[in-house]
Amino acid sequence: MDVLTNALTGQGISLSFGGIKVLKGLDVSFRAGEITGLIGPNGAGKTSLFNCLTGAYSPQEGQIAFAGQSLDGLSPAARASKGIVRSFQHVALSPDLTVLENVMIGVARNHDTGWLNAFLPLPRGCAERAEMERAAMGALADLGLADAAHSLPDALPPGMLRLVEIARAIVGKPDVLLLDEPAAGLNNSETRDLMQTLQKLRSGGLVMVVVEHDMDLVMSICDRIYVLNFGEFVACGAPDEVRRDPDVIRIYLGSDDD
Amino acid sequence: MSDQNATLGLSSVDRSGLRGMVSARVGTWLLIAIALCLPMVVGGSWVFALGVCFANAIGVLSVSVLVRYGGEVSIGHTFFSAVGAYTVAILDTRYGIPLWFSVPLALAFGVVAGILFAWPSRRLSGIYLAVSTLALALAVPEIINNADSLTGGYEGLYVSKPLVPGVKMSLQRYYAALAVLLAVTYGLSRLRHSRQGLTLLLAKSHPAAADAFGTRRVWARIAVMGISGGIAALCGAMLAFAGSTVSPSGFTFWAAIFLLVGSVVSVYGLTFPRALIGGAFLTLIPQFLSASGAWIPVLYGVALLGVILAGHYLPQLTQAMGRRKGGA
Amino acid sequence: MSGLLQDLFPLVWSGMITGCLYALGALGLVMIFKCSKVVNFSHGNVAGFAAFLIYGFSSGVLLELSWGAAVLLTILAVIAIAFLTYAIVSPLVFESDLTATIATLGIGLIAQGATLLIFGADIVSLDLPVPRFSTAVLGLRITGYDLTVLAVAVVTIGALFFVIDFTKLGIAFRAISENPFAAEVCGLNLRSVHLFAWIVAAILGVVGALLIVPTTFLSVTTVAAFMLQAFAAAVIGGFASLPGALVGGILVGVLMNLFTFYVSPEYSSTFLLGLILLALNIFPNGILARVEGFRV
Repeated sequence: MDVLTNALTGQGISLSFGGIKVLKGLDVSFRAGEITGLIGPNGAGKTSLFNCLTGAYSPQEGQIAFAGQSLDGLSPAARASKGIVRSFQHVALSPDLTVLENVMIGVARNHDTGWLNAFLPLPRGCAERAEMERAAMGALADLGLADAAHSLPDALPPGMLRLVEIARAIVGKPDVLLLDEPAAGLNNSETRDLMQTLQKLRSGGLVMVVVEHDMDLVMSICDRIYVLNFGEFVACGAPDEVRRDPDVIRIYLGSDDD
Repeated sequence: MSDQNATLGLSSVDRSGLRGMVSARVGTWLLIAIALCLPMVVGGSWVFALGVCFANAIGVLSVSVLVRYGGEVSIGHTFFSAVGAYTVAILDTRYGIPLWFSVPLALAFGVVAGILFAWPSRRLSGIYLAVSTLALALAVPEIINNADSLTGGYEGLYVSKPLVPGVKMSLQRYYAALAVLLAVTYGLSRLRHSRQGLTLLLAKSHPAAADAFGTRRVWARIAVMGISGGIAALCGAMLAFAGSTVSPSGFTFWAAIFLLVGSVVSVYGLTFPRALIGGAFLTLIPQFLSASGAWIPVLYGVALLGVILAGHYLPQLTQAMGRRKGGA
Repeated sequence: MSGLLQDLFPLVWSGMITGCLYALGALGLVMIFKCSKVVNFSHGNVAGFAAFLIYGFSSGVLLELSWGAAVLLTILAVIAIAFLTYAIVSPLVFESDLTATIATLGIGLIAQGATLLIFGADIVSLDLPVPRFSTAVLGLRITGYDLTVLAVAVVTIGALFFVIDFTKLGIAFRAISENPFAAEVCGLNLRSVHLFAWIVAAILGVVGALLIVPTTFLSVTTVAAFMLQAFAAAVIGGFASLPGALVGGILVGVLMNLFTFYVSPEYSSTFLLGLILLALNIFPNGILARVEGFRV
């Protein structure tokens, strides 16, 4: 598969709230098979760009496309059906459902049995449920969560819930996985587990985008990093290049000195 | 293989939960068996009251479904139960169509009514939705009274067509209501594990997350209102058949509030025993208090507050007790 | 044309008079909603209970007091009820405003039951000591009752707005309804402001009930039914706006009058339903809401 054609791209994305320009004509390209990091200080526009990609915001200018197909004007639900999924910074699992059931929702969009199957024990509905369960169990096992499958989310530590979120996102075999601060609220060992998991998920066809504060995590797992400041990219490249970039150093080590 | 590991590797907490589930299931079957045998033991007036109790239990379920799957509260479900009741009653009295056809039709009308109401109110939630359902409940008796050529107006209609010719009518009224109640609880237990049920539950607590996985908020609302309206219509249909008469006095604003009271008292449960608690509360308490009707609202109000306050303070209390025990 | 006008003026006039009463009820609902985020469903039933108390205190059923003393005693009773309601409801609000709202339904049921238990289901008459006169202005018949309602409504609402705009308590009330967290951080006492709102609402309810009863008669359901129009008024006004409640009340009064006269008297509740749904969908923040900038 051609890596470049399967990319999530944005051209000239501009977004403003009440006259304040939050994003100023950004060009981005997130390639399949890579983990791309999106970093920057608070208020740089990371979350705004992220929300433009998921469809929560629609930018006033610019186009967002996946594999050459425009996504403009598509709701988050419609983007999900095109294989673009996300995780949430604040864990968004249903407290009424077990971990397994929460993950099953990740494949719901690939199924379409009618309402009769929801109320009656019809063969198609039963087969669908078994299929969804198998997929969800597989995803949980891949992330080492099989033991927690039948627990309720409230009974699990935050690090595990974050992994459950990621399991829910990947179970439907997405083409694009957008991760919103996956390490937020995790302790060091949980962050390490998460990093290993994300490394494992890297595959030829998957576009992965990570918005993150945790520098270590971004630097160690990302193939490419975009650095945002005041709605503009100040740097873009491999971790080592970005680490050496004088602008990035100034932003992160503070411009108070000069 | 990993499936098996997971089921075998259940933690002790989960296993005790499993045991609880098994005993609850046994209890439900026992209750169903008792319900099936009761008419052989108790007298005619009780059989009648219990039939109405089953019908009310369905109504309680319709309100609880909205709470459980939609996170919304309705104080206007008499609108949908009236739709079901009058579908059955009008088809029975005016066209001589028996229950076999009128009940599915009532269900369909209820679903459609739920959807028709959900569409204009799709962006409302919480208190605003509750108030618009209140307005719905207010309009019901007036509409019934004014369409008297069809609905029999104030006097109402008498439902008398048997379901199965030759069987004693009182038994038919009882068992039909019980059968529909069982069917509804069964359907709801299936829904809980279905794809639609899972996505609705996620949409209730995290609409943005549900949206990101392909479930639109508006779809979720309309689906829940459709289900809830359909069940409420079944409640109405059974109220008409088991209670033998329908009249506007059964679908007042207060009746709508009582449905909510029943739902709260059953702690929004969707199982057969929980629904029975709600239904019994609505049917049997007025039966016992028929001599002093003024106590009914007082009792309902106290029960409503009692359950709500217990739900609020009991967890804190048990926590405090646990702490004391742990300290001792 | 002149026939139309001949009907129209009196209809609008009497609609405005009842509208003022709806506004009194709606203002109480909005006061409580603004600070506690609870829709007080017990409002109508408690006000109805209060009307019966006044009847009971002044007619000899319970006591034989003068009208003024009966009203004063009733207001004390209603304040006690407001205290009790607030004590029950306020801890619930932190959990869920819907749960708290359902709890007010419970209190409403108890108030209705108490009315039935003490006074029975019979209809009684409760008169207002108002000057009985009527005069015609430009073909409009204006009675002493109309003027009393108008005067009481203007004075009460004026006093309310004065308190909210210019007193310390009123400013605290506004601060808390804008942002309860910030207000508490600034050292405002939430509890006293909430109680202020609940008590004022209860008194407004009593005033509304007293004024509405002479137009009909007093039964268990009269005042509760009247409060439902107040509900509609509050919804149309946006439920969180005091001026909105006032405008909503008058609008509901006039529109209901016009509808029952020109279209159909039998479908007034259905009309109200339509009005509420329309208002909630077209003006979800009330008819007086400023059109705010689009925010995502």
